[in-house]
Amino acid sequence: MSNVPVDRAGASLDRAARLGERLERARAGDRDALDEVVRELNPLLWRVARAQGLAAEEAADVVQTTWLELVRGLHTIRSSSALTAWLVTTTRRESWRVRGLAQRQTPHDAATLESSPDPDPGPADQLLSEERDRALWQHVARLPERCRALLRIVAHVDRPDYTVVAEALGMPRGSIGPTRGRCLAKLREMLAADSTWSPT
Amino acid sequence: MTAPYSADQPLDDLDQAILDQLAAVLTRLDPPPADLDDRVRLVLALDDVDRDVARLREEHLVGAVRGTERTRTLTFDAESRTVMITIVDRPDGLVRIDGWLAPGAAVRVELRHPAPDPSQTVESDASGRFVLDGVPHGLAQVVVHPARGEHAPQVVTPALAL
Repeated sequence: MSNVPVDRAGASLDRAARLGERLERARAGDRDALDEVVRELNPLLWRVARAQGLAAEEAADVVQTTWLELVRGLHTIRSSSALTAWLVTTTRRESWRVRGLAQRQTPHDAATLESSPDPDPGPADQLLSEERDRALWQHVARLPERCRALLRIVAHVDRPDYTVVAEALGMPRGSIGPTRGRCLAKLREMLAADSTWSPT
Repeated sequence: MTAPYSADQPLDDLDQAILDQLAAVLTRLDPPPADLDDRVRLVLALDDVDRDVARLREEHLVGAVRGTERTRTLTFDAESRTVMITIVDRPDGLVRIDGWLAPGAAVRVELRHPAPDPSQTVESDASGRFVLDGVPHGLAQVVVHPARGEHAPQVVTPALAL
């Protein structure tokens, strides 16, 4: 695998350091720094809200509410890791709240709410133009739901930060590492056997 | 053949490459709204004061009339007030917002737009009704100010795509 860039781990450490530095400036009242933090973390928060079964518009509102809540509590947050964990926890809590309201209004089927928002195989084939992307998605779809849920979050988290992942999934922190290891090992095995997939 | 992982084994470059690819695939399949960052920027640009965040309770698409006029009704609940707005697409490309506050009160209602566009402000009547007309399409946020002399927080909605 000589064509895989060797500095990935270093790049994600840099990213964490950059986030920490922006958090410092945001806390000092720098709006541009806060904007950058928003851009960096919105994809993760979006994924967390969608993983709770929210519709797109509900998820967008939950992400906004989460940031509004953060501004109130920004002075209490000291590190980039604590920031991400706090945002993820708040996004989950807000998502439950929205889901609870929706449940009271229309008698949703519980199974619908719990179902993962993974797109159907049909649209995925149309949306993914590259063969290697389609191959990856097909193999991910064969993993157990627990693995899929974990990898969806881990993919959007640096390093990955186990505290953040545990908060996002409501799983004990200690089980994140082993589960991640098993799920990735299984996925790698399937990908290695698939000639249509390559790492780059 | 890949060796089994131990719990503490760090991600190697291939793991990271797979996860990066998965992140890109997920974003392609289920992208956040294109204006999500802008919405967050709009709501965060409010001065940091005491606020009561109104959450979307329900949204109704009332219907399109001859394909030119579309009407949406949105209801937001905050602790202190409920804000209901009906958004009507006008044939000339602008928007009219008919709003209603419960409990009703004569207060200042502000419609914020992303910088540098100025806010539009109206007063609700004693029953809590207000109208914002000739509003351009785009992102906007409703801010309901407390009545004069009333010690209550501002009620703010999430950013709306009009």
